[in-house]
Amino acid sequence: MPSPPASPPAPCSFVLRAGERGHDLIRSDGTRASYIAGHPDAFITRDSSFNFHEYQNGRPGFGSMRVFGDEVFHGVGCGYNMHPHHNFLICAFVLQGELTHINTVGGGMVDQLGPGDYYVFSAGSGGKHCELGITGEDTNIIYIWFLPAQLYLPPTYSRAHFDGRTGRHGIAQLVGEADGALPIPNDIRISRLVTDAGSKHTCTPRSSSHGTYVFVLDGDLRCADTVLARRDSTGIWGVDKIDCEATADSTDVLFVEVAMTGDEVVGR
Amino acid sequence: MALDQAAADLRPLKRLICLGCGFSYDEALGLPNHGIAPGTRWEDVPEDWVCPDCGTPKSGFEMVEIGYATGGAELAQRA
Repeated sequence: MPSPPASPPAPCSFVLRAGERGHDLIRSDGTRASYIAGHPDAFITRDSSFNFHEYQNGRPGFGSMRVFGDEVFHGVGCGYNMHPHHNFLICAFVLQGELTHINTVGGGMVDQLGPGDYYVFSAGSGGKHCELGITGEDTNIIYIWFLPAQLYLPPTYSRAHFDGRTGRHGIAQLVGEADGALPIPNDIRISRLVTDAGSKHTCTPRSSSHGTYVFVLDGDLRCADTVLARRDSTGIWGVDKIDCEATADSTDVLFVEVAMTGDEVVGR
Repeated sequence: MALDQAAADLRPLKRLICLGCGFSYDEALGLPNHGIAPGTRWEDVPEDWVCPDCGTPKSGFEMVEIGYATGGAELAQRA
């Protein structure tokens, strides 16, 4: 007897308000001075959507996503000193300020990223990097880490730019398999929408077993039946489409689509 | 006792990943360069052991079911 077809996953969601995220303020002093660059006056603020480092009272992740950090580097030279990674797929989206990124991948390179710039760093079999704000302006970056499809891949780094003017009013795919998007070695798509009040859009996951994490960078968004303000977010899975409407001008939204593995423990 | 040990040995070997930096621990491979022999179960790694790359404690590792890229296992054993 063939087993009956698996029933589609039931629609599920959670909402995470901006102020409910894990909040850390990490100063470049004491034992942290080797971790946080810019000693002695610099500090990083980090708002984590999922459990990370000291923050362990939230959700462990969403599909293959383990880290979603909304970070600000404060002070000249603030950032992360050179440190190693393996395996994780690390994406960074610069929203404000300037990020100087020194990375050992491919024989080494120094990259500078400004607002709209973003990178995908697959740490694979190992690499080190250092990330600094060297201008003194506050640097706001969204960091997203994913588990890879395979361990110990050859390390890779790529970068691109999202133009919020020419790309306005449409959901633009920035990362994952698509023309013009940066490749990433797992089943992941990251898209961004900048639009104005009254503009309606439909986000279409590749299947109902993919989940979408919707994070409002700026403005206000009605997403399904939920109203999201700046830095609010929602995770939705088990649906074929997600209807969104901007309710403020210059609303700016990230959509992170991941394969849900069926053992999500996201509803803490 | 011997029976218990034999039963325990039948459990599949695990892989774990450090949620602080992505460093991986593979029970089959151990970490010979860090004094942990191949085949060492995660529960037999000392409780005060921390990630050699970033200092994350054992509790900050997550079990994963992810295969290696070509040649990856050999590189992992030398980590």
